[in-house]
Parts: sequence; C-alpha cells; structure tokens
Amino acid sequence: MSATIHVENARKHYQSGDTTVRALDGVTIEARPGELIGIMGASGSGKSTMLLIAGLLEPPTEGEVFFRGERVSCPGADLDRLRAFRRRNIGFVFQKANLIPFLSAIENVALALKIDDVPKRAAHDYAEALLVELGLGHRVDNRPARLSGGEQQRVAIARALANDPPLLLADEPTAALDSVRSRHVMELFRTIADVRGASILVVTHDPRSVDLFDRVYEFSDGKIVATSRRTAPEALAAH
Amino acid sequence: MSLALKDIAFSPTRFILTVLGVGFLITASIGMVGIYRGIVDDAMLLVEKVGADLWIVQGGRQGPFSEGSSVRADLDQRVAGVAGVTSARRFLQVSQQFDAPDGVGQMRAAIVGLDYPKDEGNWIDLVAGRSIATGHFEAIADETIGLALGDVVRLNHDDYTIVGITRQMVDLSGDGILFVTINDAMEIAQRRSSEEVLLTRAVMDDAGPEAALSPAANKVAAVLATVDPAADIAAVRASIAAWGDVNVMSRADQRDLLLNQRLWRLRVQILAFTGVLLIVMTIVISLIIYMMTLEKLHQIAMLKLMGARNSLITGMIAQQSAAISFLAFGVGIGLAKLIFPLFPRRVVMAPDDITYLFIAVAVIAACASLIGISRAMRVRAQEVLA
Repeated sequence: MSATIHVENARKHYQSGDTTVRALDGVTIEARPGELIGIMGASGSGKSTMLLIAGLLEPPTEGEVFFRGERVSCPGADLDRLRAFRRRNIGFVFQKANLIPFLSAIENVALALKIDDVPKRAAHDYAEALLVELGLGHRVDNRPARLSGGEQQRVAIARALANDPPLLLADEPTAALDSVRSRHVMELFRTIADVRGASILVVTHDPRSVDLFDRVYEFSDGKIVATSRRTAPEALAAH
Repeated sequence: MSLALKDIAFSPTRFILTVLGVGFLITASIGMVGIYRGIVDDAMLLVEKVGADLWIVQGGRQGPFSEGSSVRADLDQRVAGVAGVTSARRFLQVSQQFDAPDGVGQMRAAIVGLDYPKDEGNWIDLVAGRSIATGHFEAIADETIGLALGDVVRLNHDDYTIVGITRQMVDLSGDGILFVTINDAMEIAQRRSSEEVLLTRAVMDDAGPEAALSPAANKVAAVLATVDPAADIAAVRASIAAWGDVNVMSRADQRDLLLNQRLWRLRVQILAFTGVLLIVMTIVISLIIYMMTLEKLHQIAMLKLMGARNSLITGMIAQQSAAISFLAFGVGIGLAKLIFPLFPRRVVMAPDDITYLFIAVAVIAACASLIGISRAMRVRAQEVLA
C-alpha cells in the first residue's frame, strides 16, 4: 500500500538579512493509511515547517512531496492552484480551533462541505452526524464562544473530517487543553485513524500520548534525529 | 448560508450603528444637493411663475433681481402700446421688516406688487384663502412668514389683512413673499420717517414740490410684458429697446443672470462642499469595509486553508459592503424626509438627484469592496498558523 503522504528529502531555507535560516534540512517522512504519526521536538526544530510543506501550504526549497504516489509539490510550485486538491484531501487542526465565530458548531462543520459544493441539506445532516459521533450532539447549535476549549477543538476536528480527507494534519492540537482533554483528543485521532483509515500527522510537545502513535519523528534543528515505533514509546516519553 | 448575513447577525448593534453613521453622511449629501436645488428653485420661482416673456427694466441695468431697477410707474402703458404685446404688468419687490400681528417681535417678508386688477394673481398657488379681490389693503402671505388667514399687519401706515396663504413662495434670500396690489407695494416702498418728511418739506420751499416726494414715489422695478405667440418676440424686444431709456430682458436672460452671476459663487460653493462630502463618504465607507476585512483576516486565511474559492471570500466582503451602503442609503433618505421639512429653507429632493446619489453610493460601495477584497486576496492560508 503506497503512503498517503511522502515528503522526500525536504529542505526549507529562509533568508533573514545576511543569514540563511535552515528551518528544514533534508527531512523525509511518510504516513500510510490508518497511521497516526507524531512529530515532536523543541520550538524552532522545524515541526511546523514540516506540516506546512506536507499540507501543501509552502513549497520546499528542495525536495518533493508525493500524495498517494503522485508528486504534488516541489520547489517553486504554485500551491494556490492546489486549493481544491487541499479541500478534498487534507484536513487541518490547529492549537487554536480557528472556528468562524459567527457560525454555530454545525454551520462551521457544514461550511467545509458547502465549500466543496455539497448541497445544503446533505451538508447539514452530515455535519450533525459528525458532531454526534464526536460527542457534541447537544452542542450543534452553539456558537464557538459558548463552547469549552475541548469542545471547540472537537468541532475543529469534525470540520477537518467533513470532506473525509485521507490526510489529517494537526499542529499542537492539545496545547491549549488540560491533560484529560488532551488525552481525549489524542484518543479521538487514534480512533479516526483506525476507523476511517486516515493518515494523521500530529505535531505535539506533549509526551503523554506517545503510546497512541504508530511512529514518532523527533525533530531537532530542522532534522530528524530519532524515529521510534509504537512498540517502544517509553524511550520517547523520557525525552 | 450567507457568511455576510451571518456576520451581520452576529454583531447587529455594531452593524446598525455603522449603517446609521453612513446614513447620516448620505443625509448630509442629500441635504447639500437639496439646498442647492432649493436655492435655485426659489431664485427661479418668480421668473418662472409670473409668466412674463419680456422684462422691461431701467436702462443700463440688469434688474430687478441682479441689479436695482427703477422705472416710471406709467411705463406699462408705453409697453402695452407696442405691437405684439398682449399685456403689460408693473412689478415691484421690496424687502420689509414689520411688527408681528400680536405685537411681539418682528417679521420679515419680500413684498411683491400685483398689478391688480390686470393681474389678480391667478398664477399664485394658494393653500388656503383666496386671491386679492380689492385694490387696497389685502395681502397673500407665504406660510414661512408666520402669518395666518385673517391676521392684520401694519405696513408703512396702513393695515393689511391676510386673505390667502401660499406655500414655498419665497424670494432669492429665502424670505417669504407677501403679495399686495402694485399701488400698495409702491406706497410701502416709499416708507419715510417723520423726520425725513419734515426735512423734505423744508427742501420743498427751495426746490419745488417734486423734492418732497420719496425717490421711490411713482416708480416700479420693472414692467412685465406678455407677447402674442404669433408675434416675433425679437422684433418686439428690439422695438422696446430702441427707446433707449429701458433695457429689455427675456425670461432666459433673467434665468441666466440669476444662475450664472448672482448665484454663481453660492452654487459652486455648495457643489464643492457636496463633492467634499462624497469624498468623506467614500473614505468612511472604504475604511469601514477595510477594517471589517482586517478583523476577519484570520478567518479568511482559515477559509483559504479549507480550500474556499475566492468567490466565497469576495462575495462575503462585497455583500457586507453592499448591505451597509444600500441600507445606509435607505436610512439616509428616511432621515432626509424626516428632518429636512423642519429646515428653515427649502431642501428639494429631486428624483434625478436621488438616482445620481444612489449611483454614487453604489460606486463608492464597489470601490470600498475592492479595497477590502484586494487586502483579503493577499492573505495566505498559512497565516492561520501565525
């Protein structure tokens, strides 16, 4: 089975005055269907840059990005034209839920479907089903301001899942949550990977959920310094 | 699901206040244009309503509105004798300050003489009462003067009873017109103090009886001639002008003098101020839309991240801009209709002007949208992570 996403030897260099910042320096990662991948590392280690490149939001300075075996990004690629591709294939979840404040929970989720031209009624019904599945059946008509942080994050996950994307990218999704809610969110990702067969890349600082990951990439100074599998989470937890 | 409407519904108070603010600006613009139209209409009122084809005024002058004019009161008989003239009426207008009927305070009016009985004032639009029916001491007053039917006012040394009321019949400066007969108007025009009478009597011994008369005695401002439609108006005009002691002006001449000379600076000033208001309105609406866009940059970035088409984002901005502008236009019209009738001078809301203003507001809304849209288009999806 080919990888959902495969980033090959990606480099991302920024020019800051006379200095060249090597945000990413020859990184190769991949995620297969049903895999929950952790990306860990200190601040500035290149985790978020990796996510931008994998999410087709930034082209790499060097290297290539393959989606289900097909090259979708390379240096100088015009990623704006991949907006429709991103809409159908990649879901995003961030530290902040980034919900549209003037829309209710169900409208936030349904918006992702309407953007993809799903008819209004069908979008509404599917959004409701997703929210119910994520335990938010009683909150569908609430606006984000009326939801707790954990609930907002679950709505954001429902929105990311709305188009049933094969790839889900999450950048510090639990950073603003307490340990119990963090665990719930990570377990949710695990379930989504298992049940829906989606590939999920999660950037996180939190070592308490490493047992849920199939594989963890440890980043430092723009490079992968360690890779570990689910069978040995304790070693990474000690990091 | 309209994102624009959802956003508006999310913070209705802010939206209402914004619409009210822009609405007041539009009201001010309507007001400026309306005041301009009102001044022009008021200035043209007598020229248009009185229905004269030719104005015979003092020689070498362009009266009676742009310059002073004084001709002999019997000039009308000379004019009436000219071939092609069907009627000749004397015209006199004087501004007068007089005591209110109740004795408290003073009133001000432009007194216009009707050449009764040749001119019974049938061209005057009455809203109450009747036209003048006797040769003396009856008057028709515009409601802006503040007089009512049956009121008696003292002008010079005589009492005049108000028998008719008009609406929106004012002179160039906005004073309500008080119509009296031409003989009464001439009498009122030569108002003199007792001291002045005594002085002229003293002079009379030396200079003869004519010196005792006021300079305004037996004088009118102009004679208004109506020309037979079958006659050659240019020939009639030339034959009167050939007398040499008078100047002959057509209705178009009077209109041109008023608009392009007497009122020129005022017109330009009002139009310039209207222009300034439109520029302010453009800046304010643009700024509002731009600020609303800035506040939503993060959401716009999120929409782009979700793969939303540009049309969804531009639609949201354009719809909000349109909602603000067009609702504000409605509010502006409503406020104008509510407020302007209370203004001391006439504010004319001509349908053409309202249409042009609507077009201007639509263009302003479009420009404001473009500014907001151009900012939104520069937002990158990855700014969600910022």
